[in-house]
Amino acid sequence: MTNSDKNRLKDKAFQVFGIFCTFIGLVVLAVLIVKIIMEGASRIDWSFITSLPSRRASRAGIYSAWTGTLWILVLTTIIAFPLGVSAGVYLEEYAKKTRLANFLEINIANLAGVPSIIYGLLGLEIFVRQMKLGNSLLAGALTLSLLILPIIIVTTREAIKAVPRSIRDGSYALGASKWQTVWHQVLPASFGGILTGVILALSRAVGEAAPLIVVGALAYVPFAPTSPLDEFTVLPIQIFNWTSRPQAAFLVNASAAIIILLLITFLLNGIAVYLRNRQQKKIKW
Amino acid sequence: MSKKEYKLEAKELNAYYGGFHALKGINIAMEEKTVTAFIGPSGCGKSTFLRTFNRMNDYIEGFRVEGEILLDSRDIYDKKVRVDELRKEVGMVFQKPNPFPKSIFENVVYGLKIQGIKKKSVLEEAAERTLRQAALWDEVKDKLQKSALALSGGQQQRLCIARALASQPSVLLMDEPASALDPISTAKVEELIYELKKEYTIVIVTHNMQQAGRVSDYTAFFYIGELVEYSKTKAMFTSPKDTRTQNYITGRFG
Repeated sequence: MTNSDKNRLKDKAFQVFGIFCTFIGLVVLAVLIVKIIMEGASRIDWSFITSLPSRRASRAGIYSAWTGTLWILVLTTIIAFPLGVSAGVYLEEYAKKTRLANFLEINIANLAGVPSIIYGLLGLEIFVRQMKLGNSLLAGALTLSLLILPIIIVTTREAIKAVPRSIRDGSYALGASKWQTVWHQVLPASFGGILTGVILALSRAVGEAAPLIVVGALAYVPFAPTSPLDEFTVLPIQIFNWTSRPQAAFLVNASAAIIILLLITFLLNGIAVYLRNRQQKKIKW
Repeated sequence: MSKKEYKLEAKELNAYYGGFHALKGINIAMEEKTVTAFIGPSGCGKSTFLRTFNRMNDYIEGFRVEGEILLDSRDIYDKKVRVDELRKEVGMVFQKPNPFPKSIFENVVYGLKIQGIKKKSVLEEAAERTLRQAALWDEVKDKLQKSALALSGGQQQRLCIARALASQPSVLLMDEPASALDPISTAKVEELIYELKKEYTIVIVTHNMQQAGRVSDYTAFFYIGELVEYSKTKAMFTSPKDTRTQNYITGRFG
């Protein structure tokens, strides 16, 4: 075998290996989804979505869980979106490149890697106990906001960085202040990117169970929350609860609830992808 | 020196980027309604100098100036001067066309809008006036609401000129305004400069000797942060006094 043959063989070998690596994750996901759908799809009907949890699997539903998830989603957005975007704008546009800024930057990146249960403990101490919010939706949303803030800050900064210097220069040269430049030029031009990051962060928050369990979300909530100070449960916790029951019928319920949860996350991710593509088509520097 | 008033003056101007001495003791005076070209090899400080006239260097960390820049005999680095007011008076056009990702109309009236002018009739009037001044009106009058990014490079640059004129400045700074354009668009921009000179004091940085020769009344040659020679363009191109100027304009370096 000549050297050239050997090289070609290696090339081919890596290609096959690469395809294998690419598909391994997708295949596992596909198998999981198919299994879940086969188990749970037939369980989904109107009463499953509109019923409260019950001791009897056939009468149990996810009404309190999905309304809880929706509440958490909305509250977390309201809290984390302005905070995260403002912090990102500050760090990128205003903060001088000092050692302190550097230090902050590194630590925000670090925060994104802190395990979510740690945020749960933090939320338990600060929001539930110190601020006396109790095991409420608000405490849960605040905790999840802390969890996704670093992600929003980092993606906001990336999106802002992608706006070319020349746009800022053009705005300043016309007499615009820094704030006017940020508000009229930088934010609109990077909004798609920012929104994409926020939505992806939210879709992560929607799937979290651990920090909310620590904060005191309950497994059994026989009512739909009506105010931010109500106790609550969310879909992941409901799923966790059902999978830990011995009766097989509850496992079917869990599968059905997983389908709903996946639909919500896929929907959010889909919106994010759509926004990103639209942004890319609209603006070519 | 005669006693006449100059539009723009620099007196003993020094500028630093951190420890780097970028402009060294520059003295220059420019008359109203003339075109002055800044020429010189890359890194000689001509763009830095241009940007001191509307204080665009203020945002660069570590940048500082000593000496005076006078606009209508007022020091623009004085603490009382507000940068936004200054930039209403001194417009700027950049090397690469940099239209905002907004409609043509929104681009032109941006400067006015950030001043708080909201009246539609005023904005529309200003848009038509400046687009006509920039010789762009006929090409875009039917698509003012279309994105500025859909225009050609040459049109974009003329849009940027129109945008700079909207707040009715008296000085126009141009930083290599044609270097990213094709020859036909370049010719249009040069024609425009010739027209605009009737109303505005123009300072243009250029790498193109022929361009400097065609459009400017005065030329200033910069070399490593110094103003080497400043005189009438014709005089400089026919009989440069300094050998460095001569070497540069005859293409021996740069």
